[in-house]
Amino acid sequence: MTISEKRGYLGLGGESSLGWGERFARFPWSLLAMLTILAAVGFVVLYSATGGGDNLPLLWRQMVRFSVGLFIMLALGVIGGEKIYRRYAYMFYGISLLLLMAVFFAGTMGMGARRWLSIGGFLLQPSELMKVALVLALARYSHDRAASMRFDSGGVAIPLLMIAVPAIFIMKQPDLGTAIMVISVGVTVMVVSGLSWTLILGSIVLIGASIPVAWNFLYDYQRQRVLTLFFPEQDPLGAGYHIIQSKIAIGSGGVFGKGFMVGSQSRLEFLPERHTDFIFSVLAEEWGFLGGMALLLLYGIIIIRTLIIASRASDRFGLLVGVGMTAFFAFQVLVNIGMVIGLLPVVGIPLPFISYGGSSMLTLMMAMGFLCHVSIYSKQHGRSV
Amino acid sequence: MLDDVHAKFQVDARRRLWIVGGGLFGAFSILGGRLFYLQVMKGGEYRNLAEDNRISLQPISASRGRILDRNGQIMVDNRPDFRLAVIPELTGNFSDLLDRLQPILKLSQKQVDSIYNRVQRQRSFLPLQIKSHLTWQEVSRIETRIHTFPGVTIQVQAVRDYPQGVSAAHLLGYIGEVNDRDERRFPAIHYRSGDFVGKSGMERQFEVQLRGREGVREMEVNATGRQIRQLRKTPPRSGEDLKLTIDLGLQQVAEKALAGKVGSVVVIDPNNGQVLVMASQPSYDPNKFIRGFSSKEWNQIINDPDRPLGNKAIQGQYPPGSTFKIVVALAAMSEGKLDAKERYYCPGHIVREKHKFYCWKRKGHGQVGLVQALAQSCDVFFYKLAEKVGIDAIERQARRLGLGDTTKIGLNGEKAGLVPSRSWKRAMQGLVWYPGETLITAIGQGYLLTTPLQLANMIAAIANGGTVYRPSLVNLGADELPEVLQWGRINSSQMALLKKGLREVVHGYAGTAKRYQPESVKAAGKTGTSQVVRHKREDSGEIIKSDNDRYKDHALYVSYAPADPNSVPKLAISIVIEHGGHGSSAAAPIAKELIDYYFSRQNGGVGSNDNI
Repeated sequence: MTISEKRGYLGLGGESSLGWGERFARFPWSLLAMLTILAAVGFVVLYSATGGGDNLPLLWRQMVRFSVGLFIMLALGVIGGEKIYRRYAYMFYGISLLLLMAVFFAGTMGMGARRWLSIGGFLLQPSELMKVALVLALARYSHDRAASMRFDSGGVAIPLLMIAVPAIFIMKQPDLGTAIMVISVGVTVMVVSGLSWTLILGSIVLIGASIPVAWNFLYDYQRQRVLTLFFPEQDPLGAGYHIIQSKIAIGSGGVFGKGFMVGSQSRLEFLPERHTDFIFSVLAEEWGFLGGMALLLLYGIIIIRTLIIASRASDRFGLLVGVGMTAFFAFQVLVNIGMVIGLLPVVGIPLPFISYGGSSMLTLMMAMGFLCHVSIYSKQHGRSV
Repeated sequence: MLDDVHAKFQVDARRRLWIVGGGLFGAFSILGGRLFYLQVMKGGEYRNLAEDNRISLQPISASRGRILDRNGQIMVDNRPDFRLAVIPELTGNFSDLLDRLQPILKLSQKQVDSIYNRVQRQRSFLPLQIKSHLTWQEVSRIETRIHTFPGVTIQVQAVRDYPQGVSAAHLLGYIGEVNDRDERRFPAIHYRSGDFVGKSGMERQFEVQLRGREGVREMEVNATGRQIRQLRKTPPRSGEDLKLTIDLGLQQVAEKALAGKVGSVVVIDPNNGQVLVMASQPSYDPNKFIRGFSSKEWNQIINDPDRPLGNKAIQGQYPPGSTFKIVVALAAMSEGKLDAKERYYCPGHIVREKHKFYCWKRKGHGQVGLVQALAQSCDVFFYKLAEKVGIDAIERQARRLGLGDTTKIGLNGEKAGLVPSRSWKRAMQGLVWYPGETLITAIGQGYLLTTPLQLANMIAAIANGGTVYRPSLVNLGADELPEVLQWGRINSSQMALLKKGLREVVHGYAGTAKRYQPESVKAAGKTGTSQVVRHKREDSGEIIKSDNDRYKDHALYVSYAPADPNSVPKLAISIVIEHGGHGSSAAAPIAKELIDYYFSRQNGGVGSNDNI
C-alpha cells in the first residue's frame, strides 16, 4: 500500500495545505512564549548554580542551545504539510533504532556508560532521539489501525515490541532513567490510543508482581539507588549523600528562600550535579517554597496548553503525538523533581529547559516542534480561522 | 464509516487524554505537597542542618605559657619548628616535585613511602606534611627557590623548648600527646587528639594556666572540605607565664655539684617556704620528649637503676640518719626534759636488753651536753635522751616538723615518708613497740623515712624559729602570704640552744662539718648518714664489705645560713647523696658551695638577685 493509497483508505482526503503566512499565524506563539519564560528562569538559576560570573561560558552555551532549539521548534512546526511527520514516522524510528544499536556496538564511553555516538565530531545521544521517534511511530501505528483495531489484546504485541526493543538497548547502555522514560511515554501513548482498561489494570497487577523478578536484573548501582531512595540516611556520605544534601538544600530554603546567589548548599558545593540534574534544589533553596511552586505552576500551565493542543488535533496521529510529547515533557519534570525531593530514585533525568545540557534541550525542542505542527493543523484552528 | 470510527476514537482518546492530564495534575500535587512538607513544615530543621553543613570550626592553638625562674630567666620556652608541607593539587607533578626536593631534604625510603601512601588517602587541596624539624639550612635552601617548587609551603609551629636542658628537668616536667588519663585529669579542658598536655612536674601541675585557651576560626567549607572563606575568628588566649620561686643560678650550682652523683638538693627560703632549688640527679633532657627518643635511649632511661625520670627530692625516701637528732632534741625540749645543763656520758656504746647500741665513735665522747652532742653527732647522748623522752613525744615532734606527711608542695608523686609510732607498728606488724626501736629511731634509722624536701622544710623551720611553711614553687606576688602548716611551739631560748649546737657542727672545733665552713657567712647544719647495708647485714648474718657502691651508706646534710644569732637565715638546704658515704664528706661540701655562691652573688658578685 502506498502512502497516497493509505491516505485515501483512511478517508482523510487530500493533504490540507496552508500557506507559510497562515502557518506562522497559526503557530502557538503562547507556547513558545511560555517556554521562553521557562528557559529564562533556567538561565537565572543556572547563573547561580554555576557560581555567578565564574562560569559564564557555560551560561552562554545554554543560551545558544536554547536559541538553536527555538529555531528547531519553529522549523519543525511550520515546515511541511499536515501529513509530513506521519509519513516519515517509521523512518525516523528506524534510523533512531539503528543509531541506538550503533551506540551499543561503537558508542563513546563516558561516565561509566556508553551513550554517545560520535558523528563528525558531534556527540549524538540516540536515546534522546528515540524518545520522540517512538512517540511518532506509535502514533502512526495507532493511526493506521484506527479502522480495524485498537491497542487491545490482539494488536498489543507490535507496539509493545516497538517500545521494548529500544528500551532494552537503552537499559544496556546503561541508562535506566531514559529507558523508564521511553517505556512510560510509550505506554501513555498506548493507553490514550485505546488500550482496554482490563489490559491496563491487568498489566499493573502483573508489573507489581514482577518487581521482585526485575530486581534481580538491575545493576548494583541501580539497586543502590532504589535502596538509598528509601533509606538515604544509611549511607550519608556514599549513595545517600546526593539525596540528603538535596533535601537539606530544598528544606533550608523555607518559604521565601535564601535569596538569589546566596544558597549556601549550592554555593558551597554540597549539592552534587547542581547545574544539571539537581538544579531544582538550587532554585528551591534560593527561591524557597514560593519559587518552587511558581515553577511547578509554570510547568502545569505549559502541560495544560500542550494537552489542549493534543485534544484539538485534527486526527488520531496528531492527538497521539500531542499526548506523547506532553507526556515526555511532563514525565521528565515529575521524575526529576520527584528525584531531588526524595520521592523517586536518582535516575539522572534532567529538568526540562532548566538543567544544563544539550541533548535534553534539543530533543525537548523537537518534541515541542512536533506539538506546534499539530497545533497549526488542528481542527479548531482550522474552523476558527 | 471510517470517519465514524475515527470520530469515535477521537472522542474516546480525548477522554483518555484528560484522564492522563488528571493523573499528571495528581502527580504535580504530590510534588507540591512534598515541597510544602520539606520547606514550610520542616524548613527550620533543614536550615539548621544546612548551617552545620557549611561551617567548619578550626582550632587556633594558643601559645603555651613560658616558665621563668624567680629572676625572670627563661626555663621553658616555645620555639618555632619549621615543617615542609605540600599541597598536592598545586604541584603539577607531585612525584617530580618530590624528586627535586629530595637532594635538600634527604628523606629516607621509609619516609618517601609514607608520603606516597598518605598522598593517595588525603584530599589533594589539603597540605601534606613532608618533613618536620627542618634545619635553618634546609629552610633557606627551599625558601630561596620557593617559586621553583609549586605547592610547597614552609609551616611554622611552636614547639616546647627547654633551653636549660637537663637543668631542673624533674621539676619542670615535660609535655606529651594527650591520652585518656590526661583528659580525665583535666575535665575542664577540651582536648583534641594529638594535643600536647603537661605530663609531669610544673607542666602538669599548672597545665590549666600554661595552656591558655585555643581560639577558633569559623571557616565556610564546601562538601569536600575545601575552605571558601573565613566567617569569624575568636583569637586564642595565650597561656600565662609561670614565674617560679626557683633561683636558676643557685639551681645550676647545685646541679653542677651533683654531677656524676646520685641524689638531690633542695633549698628553701626559711622565711616563706619558697623553694629556691630542687635538683635531682641523674636527670634527663626534656627536649627529648619533644623530638622523641630513640628506642635505645628510652630503654636506657627506663632500665637505669638510678631512675633518672624520678624526682628524688620528693620521691626519694631515706632514713634521715643523724639529721633526725634535731627532732629528738626538740621533742625533749618541748617536754621540758632538756636544757643547756643536761649532760650524758658517752662510753662508746650502751647495752639495752642484751643488745649493744654503739656510738659511731667507738671510744666514746665522754661527758657531753646538747651542743657538743649535736656538733659531734654523739649517738649515745641521743639514745639516752630518747629513752627519757619516749617514742610518742618524738613522733609528735617529727610530725610537727612536717615529717611523715607530704609537704603539699603540689607536685605529682610526692612521697609522705614514714614516722613510726606504737599504733603504726601494731597496725602494720601486729607487734608492740620495743624500747630498742626508740633508740634506733633517735639516730634516724629503723623505720623512719624522709624525703629530701621534708628535710629541707624541717631545717627551714628550725632556721626561722619553728614555723613550718608549705613549700611553694610559684611566685604568686608580694601580697600573697605564705601558707603555714605548723606554728612554732618552741621557746626562743631553747631554740637558741639548738641552733648553737647546729652552728657548732660547722664552726665548732670538733664539728662534723667543720671542714666545709662557708667563706661568705656563718652556717649551721647537721650531718647524717643513713645505713643502707644494715638490713642486709642482719638478714644474711654476714658483713658485706662496702667496696660495692650500691651498699655504701647514703650521705645527708641539712643546713641553713646565715647562722649567726643576729642575722635572718636566708637559705635552708637539704642534700642527699645516695651511697655517698659520710654526710660530712659527701654532702656538706655542696652546701658550702651553695651558700658561698648565694651570698657572694648577693654582695655584688655574679648576676643580680631577688629581694622578694
